[in-house]
Amino acid sequence: MALPLPPGLTPSEVGFLCEMELVTVIPRQRLEGLELLGGPTQSLNPPFPAPLPLWLALLLKRQKRANISPPPWLSVEGLSSILQFETDNRTAEVFSPAPALPQPTGFGSRHDAYLSQDSLEFSPPFLADSSTTRSQSNALPYHWLELGHLLLTHASDDFDDPDTVRRLLRDLREVRMSKLRKGFKVLDAGAGVKMNGVGGMEVAEVRGFVGGIVDGLRKINRSREESRKEREAEERENGLGSSSYQDDEDDMQL
Amino acid sequence: MPDRPPFPGRPAQPPGPTYLQYSPDGQRLIVAGVGNFARSFRTGDNGEPDLLPETHEETYAVASGNDYVILGCEDGTVCEYAVPSGDLRQILVRFTLPIRDIALSPDEKWIAVSSDELPIKLINRDDIEEIFVLSEHPKPIKHLTYDPSGRYLAASCTNGVIYIYSTTTPHPSLFRTIDGVINRLETAETTTSRCVWHPDGRAFACATPTRDIQVISVEDGAHQRVFSGAHNGDITSLAWSPNGALLASSSADDQLVIWETKAQTILKRFNYEKIINLAWQSTGENIFNWTTSQGELFIIPEFLKDEAHVRLLKGPKVRAPFFHDPLDANGRKPLVNGQAKRAGTPDSLDDLVGPEDEYDWIEDDDGAGYINENGKRTNGHLGQVNGHAMKRNKQELWQPHIHEPFQPGATPWRGNRKYLCLNLIGFVWTVDQDTHNTVTVEFYDREMYRDFHFTDPFLYDKACLNENGTLFSCPAKDSQPAMIFYRPHETWTTRSDSRISLPDGEEATCIALSSRYIVAVTNKHYVRVWTLFGTPVRLWRMKSSPSVTCAAWGDFVMTVGNGPVGADGCTQLMYSIDDVRRDENCQNEDVLALGTLPPESSTEEEVSLKALFWSDVGDPCVYDSNGVLLTLLHWRTPGQAKWVPLLDTRLLDRLKNGKKEETYWPVAVAAEKFHCIILKGGDKSPYFPRPLLTEFDFQIPVSRPVEKEGDDDEEETSAEAVVRLEESFVRSSTLLGLVDDLVQGLGDRAGHAQKTEVVKREIEVDKILLQLLAVECREGEERGMKALEIVGLLRDRSGKMLEAAAKVAGRWNRTVLEDKIRDYAERRLMGMDEDS
Repeated sequence: MALPLPPGLTPSEVGFLCEMELVTVIPRQRLEGLELLGGPTQSLNPPFPAPLPLWLALLLKRQKRANISPPPWLSVEGLSSILQFETDNRTAEVFSPAPALPQPTGFGSRHDAYLSQDSLEFSPPFLADSSTTRSQSNALPYHWLELGHLLLTHASDDFDDPDTVRRLLRDLREVRMSKLRKGFKVLDAGAGVKMNGVGGMEVAEVRGFVGGIVDGLRKINRSREESRKEREAEERENGLGSSSYQDDEDDMQL
Repeated sequence: MPDRPPFPGRPAQPPGPTYLQYSPDGQRLIVAGVGNFARSFRTGDNGEPDLLPETHEETYAVASGNDYVILGCEDGTVCEYAVPSGDLRQILVRFTLPIRDIALSPDEKWIAVSSDELPIKLINRDDIEEIFVLSEHPKPIKHLTYDPSGRYLAASCTNGVIYIYSTTTPHPSLFRTIDGVINRLETAETTTSRCVWHPDGRAFACATPTRDIQVISVEDGAHQRVFSGAHNGDITSLAWSPNGALLASSSADDQLVIWETKAQTILKRFNYEKIINLAWQSTGENIFNWTTSQGELFIIPEFLKDEAHVRLLKGPKVRAPFFHDPLDANGRKPLVNGQAKRAGTPDSLDDLVGPEDEYDWIEDDDGAGYINENGKRTNGHLGQVNGHAMKRNKQELWQPHIHEPFQPGATPWRGNRKYLCLNLIGFVWTVDQDTHNTVTVEFYDREMYRDFHFTDPFLYDKACLNENGTLFSCPAKDSQPAMIFYRPHETWTTRSDSRISLPDGEEATCIALSSRYIVAVTNKHYVRVWTLFGTPVRLWRMKSSPSVTCAAWGDFVMTVGNGPVGADGCTQLMYSIDDVRRDENCQNEDVLALGTLPPESSTEEEVSLKALFWSDVGDPCVYDSNGVLLTLLHWRTPGQAKWVPLLDTRLLDRLKNGKKEETYWPVAVAAEKFHCIILKGGDKSPYFPRPLLTEFDFQIPVSRPVEKEGDDDEEETSAEAVVRLEESFVRSSTLLGLVDDLVQGLGDRAGHAQKTEVVKREIEVDKILLQLLAVECREGEERGMKALEIVGLLRDRSGKMLEAAAKVAGRWNRTVLEDKIRDYAERRLMGMDEDS
């Protein structure tokens, strides 16, 4: 039986994945550390901020047991500087870069750090602190859209200026989507679009379309591919004799 | 039925909106409106006015100088005409849409223009090509006003927000926005949302949607007093009398109301028709003028009939009605009103009424004192030295600069509210309700403590908050003595209402609360210590006075006072730490060093102490106005204490690119972090709603951080690593010192956990040294001397660390170094180390 959903992740699934991100919470009451599947949480002791997974933070927020302090990039200054980068003529072709990667752990020597056994290199979406108050203020993390949306919906009173943040987030989304769409123009079976710094939700959003196109192109090209293979097989069998006829047929197919 | 004014109206313009303004010297009154002409009425001359015959039609805004007038018209032009000849001097600027308001800066150099277009333009009158465009606001501006000193430009926007631009900077910048005061009014409406500046320049009045008149102080944006309850129609115009003692307001229901500024009461109420603009004669003559929507001008000489009212009008300057005037609390603060700016104008207001000393004179004027009239406390409790006596003698006698007393964690009044205490447990704030205060205590941990709120007839002005209870103190009032009130958070009896009364004439200048004791430093320079429920335990006089502040933790009380005068003319701060229970003195009158003013800053008068508090583990910490957090090391041993900087907030990474302009308001030191509130936009203290706490890790200013070269942040260079490790070595050693002190201070009472903590921290320090050693080894053979020196710093109780150090050297193939380390380890093992 075919799954009724399109391939890839649905937005709610992406949002669900995003809920594993750590956010900084300012607790309003004490809570011992919890042993969760994702790892133990820090014990909460007001007013000291603590990192918690987003889902737990939203739960506590809903019960008015905590306030969520938005990450620095989700502020008016942070978002407007990113938006400026995105709309600047000089950088109009690229997406704003993802947060800087942390130092690789482990003691691999300088050149083969990547290969050494005990070294561990993180990349999005597995960066620590990408959405806590320690995150970079001038880079959008992988789950920026989902996280911004969730925080603005459930914890808008914790923002300084939620309306402006919401507007900036929407502007950013539109700018970046238009860039992605511009990239589709060059889509081809062999072509590629550079998508460095694209977030999870954006990937999920364009996956259906881009995947469809690339798949469609692949299908269109398959007949050509197959016919080429056939022709080669035939050539091998028949020698060079019937090649002119085959060429005609190819032209007609196209 | 509306009354008839005592003098008939003069037809000045065809019916329609009509505007009037006095020239700064008060000699002329310009009236302009719908017609293509303007009139200039000479003060005190009842004859035919001068006519400016050729102006554009439908003037919407007037700004008047002594011999010229600037008119802004419906066709979008702003023109300057000579008065009384009426010749066109220049066209200053042209918009495509109608001009809505113009404002002339007090130095008459700049003209600010707003229109139905979005931006405000600031045009230099002498060089009209010099234009600044202000467009931080999202919608067109209805009214524009300059403050009397010309430092701020208030713009009332059609979206109901007041935008205040600061014009002191080279390029004018947005200084503050004030939301929720004025109504959303379209530019063409006759109702006003204008910000009318009080002549002292510290506040302005504007009409609210509820038809009251709200006074707002510009420096902190706080809502000050309200003139309420007189108008039943929308307010069409406001005008302060030139000395600020009276306020006139008119409304659409044909009311003209004269208010007294001091008490915000209605002096007089008239019922005159269709007033749309008001003006007092600008040099304090008893002449009042208004224009109506019929295009008529009314000039009423001898407007105020009552002797008392005339005396108010012609009397000395009156300050803007603040809830808690900062000038009362601190006599040293200079007035905001810039005197120098207007010095050029002959017979200007300031010259006539006299410079700022006049304000002092008002205070003492009629014995009863204006201050007490509003229920404010006098500054008598501060003692002579801190009060005005000092200021008066300044010219005659050299006086040392004395540090003002302060209550740690409290903010000054801002509007009618202030924080009494802000710390990591919660916050206490009070609202002045004129006859009483309302105090609210809120906690961060809402499960453990219950927030509470009460009406406070005693006017508590200081508070402390800790895990066990809240402490309040109030000054003496009328016949009632100064009191101190402790309220435990939890009680197993019914709540008692017992308060500690201080002897007559004594008031607390600073209070402190520890887990066992209540401490108060009084204006007689006594330190009084009670147990929590009011049993007096100790009493001593401070050795250095006047006192500044105090703080308590457990059995320890730290007091700070002004000591001898230093070379810079300021008193040195002296602190003492006393163990109350054992009645021992830990530190006796030691200097609390504040450092010096950075050379480039000129804003602060002198370096001052901003906060004094104990950290969560019980070490004294101070925060100074330079933004440096210091802690006291070895304070348990007399004479050994020294102040160690833990964090210099001016060197924080976040301030490095110079974009952010922020200061930090210290809250606490806990969990080896500095907790503070970030203040932006030149604020001096936190305000409502309560801002979030921010925490910073300690960072001892050891050495200058290495500049990153390029974007190559792949790997930390050795130089960076050295800087980082060196800082972390000094920091860990300092923190180890604090813990070590604690354990030694406790002696036998030290618990096992505390002792292991010391050992753990020692190992940590050694580990940092090992990392530093590894970096040095990696750098090369020639760093061997330094590497060996680092090995010498290892504390190494077990000898394992030296072994590890040798291994590190061995791994980098520094064989000579490795041998030397092993040598050294052997010598140390044998006890042959040179320094032992």
